Amino acid sequence: MNKKKHKISIVFKSVIGIICIMILFSVAIGIMGFRSYTNALLEQYSEGAFNTAKIAKKEFDVDKIEEYAKSGGKTEEYLEEWQKMSDLCNASGSTFVYVIRPDLKDYKHITFLFSTINKNSDYSCYDFGYVRETTNEEYMEKYRNLYENKTNKELLVRDKGYIETDPHITAMIPLKDNDGNTVAILCVQRQMDKLVKVRNNYIAKIFYIFLVLIIFVIVVQAAYLNHVFLRPFTSITEETIRFSDENTLPEKKLSEKIKSNDEIGILADSIDNMEESIIKYIDEVTKATIEKERIAVEFDLAGKIQVSMLPTTFPAFPDRKEFDIYASMNPAKEVGGDFYDFFLIDDDHLCLVIADVSGKGVPAALFMMASKILFANYAKMGKSPSEILEAANNAICNNNPENMFVTVWLGILEISTGKLRASNAGHEYPALMEPDGKFEIYKDKHGFVIGGMKGINYKEYEVGLKKGSKLFVYTDGVVEATNVGKELFGNERMLDALNEKSVESPESILENIKKSVDIFVEDEEQFDDLTMLCLEYKGK
Amino acid sequence: MTIENVKKEDVLALKVEGRVDTTTAPMFEDEIKKNIEGIKELVIDLEKMDYISSAGLRVLLSAQKIMDKQGKMKVKNVNENIMDIFEITGFDTILTIE
Repeated sequence: MNKKKHKISIVFKSVIGIICIMILFSVAIGIMGFRSYTNALLEQYSEGAFNTAKIAKKEFDVDKIEEYAKSGGKTEEYLEEWQKMSDLCNASGSTFVYVIRPDLKDYKHITFLFSTINKNSDYSCYDFGYVRETTNEEYMEKYRNLYENKTNKELLVRDKGYIETDPHITAMIPLKDNDGNTVAILCVQRQMDKLVKVRNNYIAKIFYIFLVLIIFVIVVQAAYLNHVFLRPFTSITEETIRFSDENTLPEKKLSEKIKSNDEIGILADSIDNMEESIIKYIDEVTKATIEKERIAVEFDLAGKIQVSMLPTTFPAFPDRKEFDIYASMNPAKEVGGDFYDFFLIDDDHLCLVIADVSGKGVPAALFMMASKILFANYAKMGKSPSEILEAANNAICNNNPENMFVTVWLGILEISTGKLRASNAGHEYPALMEPDGKFEIYKDKHGFVIGGMKGINYKEYEVGLKKGSKLFVYTDGVVEATNVGKELFGNERMLDALNEKSVESPESILENIKKSVDIFVEDEEQFDDLTMLCLEYKGK
Repeated sequence: MTIENVKKEDVLALKVEGRVDTTTAPMFEDEIKKNIEGIKELVIDLEKMDYISSAGLRVLLSAQKIMDKQGKMKVKNVNENIMDIFEITGFDTILTIE
């Protein structure tokens, strides 16, 4: 993270904003001042010009105009008049005082009857009777007003960026004969050099004042922002970086460093609270994780103990040539409720058990242990399969508040004869293979699950195994293995897999089943335990 | 799994749809537990049940045991798949299936 970049950008944005506002403000003030200055000065100038015009009007004898015209402006009287006007022009500070008579047809030409010019001016005055074109439309309009609309005065202001002439005003008043008709126009022209100077001066002043003000604001604003925003923000940033590295409470809380009751203060408070909450949460999570790990270790141990309870050494009976047995269990979780078991009751009787406890996890594993021991004990007491199941069922039902149950297939093989007596308490059907035949589901008689209800009687049946017969028992994890398409592995696929390797050893047969199930479910997680047992009867 | 629950006085009818397995069975059990008090007749419709695992069967067994004490329980519209499971596990012998 680039701290410096952020710092610059906040101050920069804020100062730019303020500068923009100030520039707008100064332009507005400038325009307003410019206008009012112009208006005030114009008023002053025009008043002066009209006053001069009024004085000149008094001096000027209208009746003599015709007389002057005849003489061509050469008489004593005219010269005397001219001198008076000239003095007035100089005394009043006017630039140009003159009397004209416009061409009344279209006002496009004017004839000078009289003109005096300020002695300081570079211009010279026009001779009597001089005719020239009216300067522009504005003048024509004013002349027309004075003649036709009989206005008493007209003012013409020319102050807008003329290159050829300085800004000036011309005050015009009509000269009238005794009948009240306008016969000539008296004009007083004044330079407005002062106006321009003052205005420019004013604009320069505004510019300098605002320039100073803007610099001042930049400095003050930057300092203020630095104090109010950046320092607290830097503290907050440093604290959050420190916290994410160290995950500990700070020596000094942010709210103690930033004593402010604005949003930043609230933010500092929130960060303090957040840090406390996070640390509390981290503690809890740490504790929970330790606890979870401990439980996981215990689960693992439980699983190991469970597996160690099952016979896992193969060949299990290396010195018995009459049969071959193989079994496997792949629990879906660390501990499960499936189990198989086999043991010799005596020299001629082999007990086979495959079972599935309802549910999963530790409760199922504990229940499995208890039932496994019960089955083995009752078997070793010499009971028949159905008696074993009945006794185990009653024993479990006596103390089973959770209504857990176990499905069991239990068989006892008389090794010498191949007679297999079995009983089924709610377990999957076994699969049987006649010598040189195929594996087929053997639909045996089913009783209710063990642990479900007290006093259940289980049926028992007998199957004669011949030399080469094979028996396959399994739990529902095999037939109910589910693929991505929610399809069950099912009995058909199981039988196919069995028959692929039916001539081979029980070990190969089980490996093939496992492989087939794995291929079938592909990426789906193994949901149920996969427990199987296969017996091959080889006879004497 | 979804459960539709209709309670009329002391008759509770549940319609269970989908898979009842280790993951969903606890929900099934909760649904029964919180509604079963004072119920004289519990009817569970399994028409749209796809699968029931041993964990689900345990819930049915518990319900059956409670209803044995306080009234009766029926299971109806059992489809072929579920019936297979009931037959294999012997549940068909302890449940009243219609």
